[in-house]
Amino acid sequence: MEVMRLVVTGPVGAGKSTFIRSVSEIEVVDTDRQATDETANLKAKTTVAFDFGRLQFGPDMALHLYGTPGQARFDFMWNILIQKAHAYMLLVAAHRSDEFYYARRILNFIKQRSQIPMIIGLTYTDSPDAWDEETISLALGYTHAGQHPPIIAVDARQRASVAQAVLTLVQHLMQSQGCLV
Amino acid sequence: MSVSGRLSEFSLGEIFQLLERGQKTGLLTIRAAHSPAEPLQNFYLWFKQGQILAAANRLDYKGLATLLYQREWLGEHSKMLLVEAFKSNRPLGLYLKYQKLLNAEQLKLLFYTQVIRQVCTIFQFSEGWFNFETKTELPLAEMTGLSAVPLNVTLEGLRALRDWRSLSKKLPAPNSAITSLIVGNPQLKINPVEWQVWEFANGTEPLTVIAEQLQLPLGKIQQIAFRLMMVGLIEEVPLVVSKPSKAPEIEIQNPELITPNHKPISQSFLHNLAVFLGSRSIH
Repeated sequence: MEVMRLVVTGPVGAGKSTFIRSVSEIEVVDTDRQATDETANLKAKTTVAFDFGRLQFGPDMALHLYGTPGQARFDFMWNILIQKAHAYMLLVAAHRSDEFYYARRILNFIKQRSQIPMIIGLTYTDSPDAWDEETISLALGYTHAGQHPPIIAVDARQRASVAQAVLTLVQHLMQSQGCLV
Repeated sequence: MSVSGRLSEFSLGEIFQLLERGQKTGLLTIRAAHSPAEPLQNFYLWFKQGQILAAANRLDYKGLATLLYQREWLGEHSKMLLVEAFKSNRPLGLYLKYQKLLNAEQLKLLFYTQVIRQVCTIFQFSEGWFNFETKTELPLAEMTGLSAVPLNVTLEGLRALRDWRSLSKKLPAPNSAITSLIVGNPQLKINPVEWQVWEFANGTEPLTVIAEQLQLPLGKIQQIAFRLMMVGLIEEVPLVVSKPSKAPEIEIQNPELITPNHKPISQSFLHNLAVFLGSRSIH
C-alpha cells in the first residue's frame, strides 16, 4: 500500500477538523477520544490529540490526512507529524486577523524543520470582515509579490471545495517533484 | 482594498509593517483610547507607497495650518497664502518652502510635531479599531512634503511604550528562539541592548536562555524581540515545548513513525490521486 501523508494545520477555528471530515471516507478520528486500526501506531495515553482522516482511491493507494493539535503550544507531536508528512496545508480564517500572527508562528515552526511543499487555504473568505488574499499573504510574512506559495479559497464544509484544495496541493507537490501537472 | 480590525487583535506595529511591506497608498483611520472607559479619539494617517506622509486628529485638512498659526509662521497674509497653496496643487509645506516662508529645519520640526510625535502617542493606546482605505486622495493641505519610514516610527513608538499589557499576546513565547531575517548587520539604528538580543538571532536559544545570558528580565527580552520583529530584523521560531524522552505522553509502537520520511511519492500515485480529486472537485 502506497500512502501519502498530508498535514492540515492552522490556528484554532480555521476549519481543520471540518476540512478533514469533508474529504475523508472514514469517520474522522480524534485521537484524544479513541484509537482505531489506522491510529493504532500512535497509542494515545493522555491529552495529545489530532484529527485523522483517510481517502482510498485505488486498491493499494491511500491519502492520509492529519490535523495538527489545536492547542497553541508546539509539542513533540508536531515534530512527528511534520517529519512524516509529504506536504501540508496551512488553513487560515480570512476574517480572523487576530490569528494571523499565530499562523505565522506555525509557518516558522514548520519551515525550520521541513521544506516539504505547502499551500495556504483561506476559509471564511465570504465573511464581511475577511481580509483579501494579498494582505493576508503580507501578514503571514510573504513580503514580495509572487513569492508566496499557492493560495486558494476553500469552504471546509463543501466536499468539492476541499477536494479542489487538496488537488491544488497535489499539483504543487507534482511540480516540486518535477512532474507535469 | 479595505482592511480593518481591532487594535487588540492586530497591533499598530503589525499594521505599519503590513502597509510598508505592501507599499500601500491610502488613509489609515484609528479610533482609540487608553481604556474601555475612555471616549475614543480619532487619528488619521496618510500613506503613499508604504511611507507615512501626514497625520492629523481631524479630517477638515486644517491640522497643518493650525500648527503654522500656532507658531506664527504664516505672517499677515496667511489666508491668501493658503488659497494660493491650494491652487498650486503642491503639499502645503513644500509650497511655503518654495515661497521662502519656511526653511528646511522648520519643515522638519513641523513634520516631527505633526507625524512622529502623534504616531508615537497612538502606540500608547490599547483599545480601539483601525481601518485602512485605499480609495482616498492625498491631503496636500496636511502635507509638509516630507515622509517617514514606518519601521523607524515603530521602533521609536515601541521604545517609548511603558504599558505593554495590550501586546502581551503578541510577544514571542519564552520558549521560542529568534532567527535573523537579514544578511549581515542591521542597517537600522538599534540601541546596544537591542543589538545584544539581535546577536542571539540564530534560531537555537530560547528567550529564557537569552534573558539569563544577558541578565535581563524575561519580559524585557520579549519586548525587545518584539520590537526587532516588528521592524523586520528577526522572526520568532517556536521550539518544541516538550520531548517524549523527557515526559512520554504517547507510546510510539511503530518506530517508522518517528523517523523522517524521505521517500518521494510515485508519479503514478500522484497522477491517480489528481484524477480522483479532479472528479470530486466538480460540483
